[in-house]
Amino acid sequence: MNSAVTSIKLVLLGEAAVGKSSIVLRFVSNDFSENKEPTIGAAFLTQRVNINDNTVKFEIWDTAGQERFASLAPMYYRNAQAALIVYDVTKPQSFIKARHWIKELHEQANKDMIIALVGNKVDVLENNEDERKVAREEGEKLAEEEGLLFFETSAKTGLNVTETFVAIGEKIPLKTAGDQETDSNGVAISDEQRIDLANSGNAAGQTAGCSC
Amino acid sequence: MSFFASLREKAPFLDRISETFTPVLTRDEKFKLEYKLPKGENILDDINADLSFLHPSTRSRNGKSPVSPKAQQMAVVFSGKVYLTPHFILFKDIFDQSSCVLILNISTIKRVERSPSASYSCALLVTLYSGTQILFQFIGLKYRSEQFCELLKAKLRENIPNAKTLPKFLDTCYSEFLIRKNILGLKDTQPPRAGLGQQFKYPGNPVLAREKAKLRLWFEYFRENGRHLSLMKNPTFHKLIRVGVPNRLRGEIWELCSGSIYLRYANPGEYEKLLIDNKGKPSQAVDEIEKDLKRSLPEYSAYQTENGIQRLRNVLTAYSWKNPDVGYCQAMNIVVAGLLIFMSEEQAFWCLNNLCDIYIPGYYSKTMYGTLLDQKVFEAFVDEKLPVLWEYIVKHDIQLSIISLPWFLSLFFTSMPLEYAVRIMDIFFMNGPKSLFQVALAVLKINSDDILQADDDGMFIAIIKNYFQTLDQSAHPDSPDMKYRQITKFQELLVTAFKEFNVITEQMIYQERSRHEKTIFQNIETFVKRTQLRHMPRTFHLTDDNLSNIYDIYYNSIESHKISMGTGSSNMNFDIFVQFLSKICDWCKPCERDSDPAFRKQKSGFLRRLFDDWDTASIGELTLNDVVSGLDKLVTPDLLESINYFFSLYDSDNDGELHREEVLQLSEGLLLLTEPWKSGRYVDLLTKKSIEDDIAENIAKEKIIEETNNGDSADISMEQIELPTGVTVDEEKYRAEQAERYLKAASNFLQRSFEYAQSLDIAEEVDLIDLSDSDDGETNQEDKLQKKKKKYESIKANAALDPTHPKVIDLATFRMIILADETYELFFAKTFRLSIHVDESVQSDNNKNNALRGMFDGILADGRRVAEQVRRRVDSVATRNSMSSVDSQTGGSLQATVNTDKYDDMDDFTSDQQLEHEELLNNPWVDVDDAVDGKEPVRQERAIQALPPQLADHDLIEFEA
Ligand SMILES: Nc1nc2c(ncn2[C@@H]2O[C@H](COP(=O)(O)OP(=O)(O)OP(=O)(O)O)[C@@H](O)[C@H]2O)c(=O)[nH]1
Ligand SMILES: [Mg+2]
Repeated sequence: MNSAVTSIKLVLLGEAAVGKSSIVLRFVSNDFSENKEPTIGAAFLTQRVNINDNTVKFEIWDTAGQERFASLAPMYYRNAQAALIVYDVTKPQSFIKARHWIKELHEQANKDMIIALVGNKVDVLENNEDERKVAREEGEKLAEEEGLLFFETSAKTGLNVTETFVAIGEKIPLKTAGDQETDSNGVAISDEQRIDLANSGNAAGQTAGCSC
Repeated sequence: MSFFASLREKAPFLDRISETFTPVLTRDEKFKLEYKLPKGENILDDINADLSFLHPSTRSRNGKSPVSPKAQQMAVVFSGKVYLTPHFILFKDIFDQSSCVLILNISTIKRVERSPSASYSCALLVTLYSGTQILFQFIGLKYRSEQFCELLKAKLRENIPNAKTLPKFLDTCYSEFLIRKNILGLKDTQPPRAGLGQQFKYPGNPVLAREKAKLRLWFEYFRENGRHLSLMKNPTFHKLIRVGVPNRLRGEIWELCSGSIYLRYANPGEYEKLLIDNKGKPSQAVDEIEKDLKRSLPEYSAYQTENGIQRLRNVLTAYSWKNPDVGYCQAMNIVVAGLLIFMSEEQAFWCLNNLCDIYIPGYYSKTMYGTLLDQKVFEAFVDEKLPVLWEYIVKHDIQLSIISLPWFLSLFFTSMPLEYAVRIMDIFFMNGPKSLFQVALAVLKINSDDILQADDDGMFIAIIKNYFQTLDQSAHPDSPDMKYRQITKFQELLVTAFKEFNVITEQMIYQERSRHEKTIFQNIETFVKRTQLRHMPRTFHLTDDNLSNIYDIYYNSIESHKISMGTGSSNMNFDIFVQFLSKICDWCKPCERDSDPAFRKQKSGFLRRLFDDWDTASIGELTLNDVVSGLDKLVTPDLLESINYFFSLYDSDNDGELHREEVLQLSEGLLLLTEPWKSGRYVDLLTKKSIEDDIAENIAKEKIIEETNNGDSADISMEQIELPTGVTVDEEKYRAEQAERYLKAASNFLQRSFEYAQSLDIAEEVDLIDLSDSDDGETNQEDKLQKKKKKYESIKANAALDPTHPKVIDLATFRMIILADETYELFFAKTFRLSIHVDESVQSDNNKNNALRGMFDGILADGRRVAEQVRRRVDSVATRNSMSSVDSQTGGSLQATVNTDKYDDMDDFTSDQQLEHEELLNNPWVDVDDAVDGKEPVRQERAIQALPPQLADHDLIEFEA
């Protein structure tokens, strides 16, 4: 049994109604709801998964998608180690919005944040490929240019949802069992240490584990 | 309680602060806010009076008996003040201002008669359509009472058309239905069309909620104290609301408390009209609304039906058209979905209006400043009232807003089960936004023991979630006391919120808001700016700093637009555009010549061209992006691009050729742009150069004399050079020289334009006059200038007056003509670009160094450059001296120096200038136009020709069009 649990603070960003909350719901409760209320401000959920024999606890900050809520976003992505930037493969506008979010994070967020670009609602394409408005290649290209992970998902069918989170988890250096150290850009923080981290005002992970 | 104690401690201090921070409202504004009256309802008159309310119930059921003097005596009398506004009579008691508050829309008045009164100066008996009679007995001077009565009479008369809409309006009021059914015995009256609850059931259990009993209490209240547009509020009214409003009446009570009932009455048909007028129109808000329609209180069955969805769509879109500054904000869908369970579409629409305007201003705005602000205010209250909890939250880095923001933004609708959320809304509409803070604090306080165990956001959220889901359970399940056990968590919440946290007053909220306002606004502005700058079009010449400055100056110019509040249009119309440019462009700044109408016309002519060119969407307005793209073109460092752009501004049909009229307009544009240099307000680089040369020359001369005297070698190091202390420069001289140079450039330009214009009949050229110095002995600068001006005018008039020869200038010719003139070439290469100060931030003192005065100071201060010049001079003099006998270089040789050293000077005054020349030569157009260029006619000096006599007298005002 591993006593150490790695916490990963992850934030979801993207245009309204692209399915951010649905992805989280799928990941956390393996559930889906057709009429999900819009997220007001932000929501917070956690989920633990085992990645390569390590337990990773995702602390998920699901944000509101409407443009005007964007000014609240920094409150939630501050100190985040990972981000999912979600768009809807049937809505070209949502892809443009995703580009903006990438810029915002590159400029404002933690430099070594792991970012995944996620094209959601691919289940819609099963019956009708014409619904697709953002080509898979476009997404892949953008992800490659910006150095992001890339997935196409469906919160409805569950396609690639867990895979996305696991891929992020694998990219983040994990704390091995009983090991209290982290490597230089490591982000392995126990719940207690997380507090010191935030109070010290540093970017996540830089000094984790050293203060106690 | 510690927070009580701490509050009392702080109270005097708080009071003092609040005086300075509370928004300064006028008496009228306060009055309207307090009674939730519509905008126009200012106080027209007020007077002290005694009021008695003669209940219809005191009369017999058949309504026969008039008011008997006996009944009159029995009625309770309230002393207080009556106010008259355009559509209302309002009375409030003097005792505690809440024992009797009567709000009477004058449409409900059927009759007003004078009542004989012995003890009062004047008394009015007001009879309402409902049958209620109200006796106003005025206190004070008779003439004042008469005045009041006269005014009332006038208002009543004016209001007659409005009053006609009353019967129809009353059909929409549930209170009226109750009365009709139960008192008038009209058994078959239909209840008014109300909220979705009528059809889809109201939330909660009607039996448990004792709906019928509550409804009866309200019925009695209405019968005795009036209803809807003529209601007397006494403490029972508030008590009944606290008990919980019956579902069927809830819509109307919310309307009454929020004052939206008055708006609805005052604006009949507006809601439908908004929907009809904007039917099918696309907008961002409409798109956003569409996305959220199915995501609004999905657990309530009506919102799974087209009927429910359609009502929601209607109200939200109507509001987005009514208030485009807000448009649509997520969470409004949930709030409106809540309203629509109890209200008709129209009721909900007006209620939403007052909600956004009065209750939670700024919550749903484009920047959500109200939301952000109130989160800060809430945190401050938690800190103050629940310090232990706050300390814990801070220590554990718990994001309080993640839990509290939805409470405020969706008014608890997303947090609590509907039946409880609406109870909170009852209080909220009655008591205002402070209720939200009170409930929020109570939730935290009640759960504080559990929260103090939570060590992350997840647990914190879980605790609160669980609490809201169990509001119907006992607050004290383990208590041995049965009565105590029966108290539900929700009841406990109400008591804690509205009793214990009653200490949170509106005043305190205002005061906290103003304390945090500045920081919040600043944060928002930084954020908005960052986002907007990121979305700017690609620029080629403007740097990020330039863009940042332009952004600031742009928004500085648009006063109607408030960045932090996200309101008002952020586009620029022509007038604002002119103001904006005058902040950054030397040639657009106000100057003395603005008083000249002809000059003003020139100026606005040019600016209009620029504006139209930048207005990419042709909407008569510029966006920030338009302005940025436009300025980017204007500040190109590429000489040819700059010339091309100017040409294109005048080539209105885009055929690459300018016709006579266009050429004349273009020359006027050039005159306008060069005016600041022509008038000597600024100096260009040529003048600067010549000043530097002059100073250097003087110093060098002294040096050389010194050396010759000392017999030293001419080895001068820079350190040795000291600027002569008393160097004085003849400003006037340079000013005049520069003016002359510009004037000459202008006339040369016109002359050449018509000379090289492609014409069918070259033989019949207009007389062309060379304006170069004729050196006919004139010494007076002024005379010379005057004469030149005249000459210029004649050329212009001549060319313009000759309609027989249609001529055109193409771009190549235009470039050639510009490049043929040193001043104009420099103008397009540098002068113009440097006169656009995109590199200076808003407040900085522009152009200190471009103005002549500042220029001298600058040169003298910048000793190093002069020193270099001096060394060069001394060196060159030394060489010359060694080669030939000492040339008697004397003062006043500036002209000569400039002339002989012209090309050298051009070389060294900036190195990139040379680059531009190279670029120029490599440019493809040079080859294309070889034929013209090959002749090299441009630089040729033409023979002086005499002025045609008839034109010499032509006494036009300078450059008048
Ligand atoms: N067909 C399909 N629908 C989806 C999928 N994911 C989400 N949806 C639907 O899309 C709508 C919006 O989903 P949400 O998860 O609430 O979207 P969101 O991005 O959280 O939206 P905001 O909170 O407003 O920013 C809901 O009606 C979902 O049922 C998907 O993978 N496939
Ligand atoms: Mg969401």
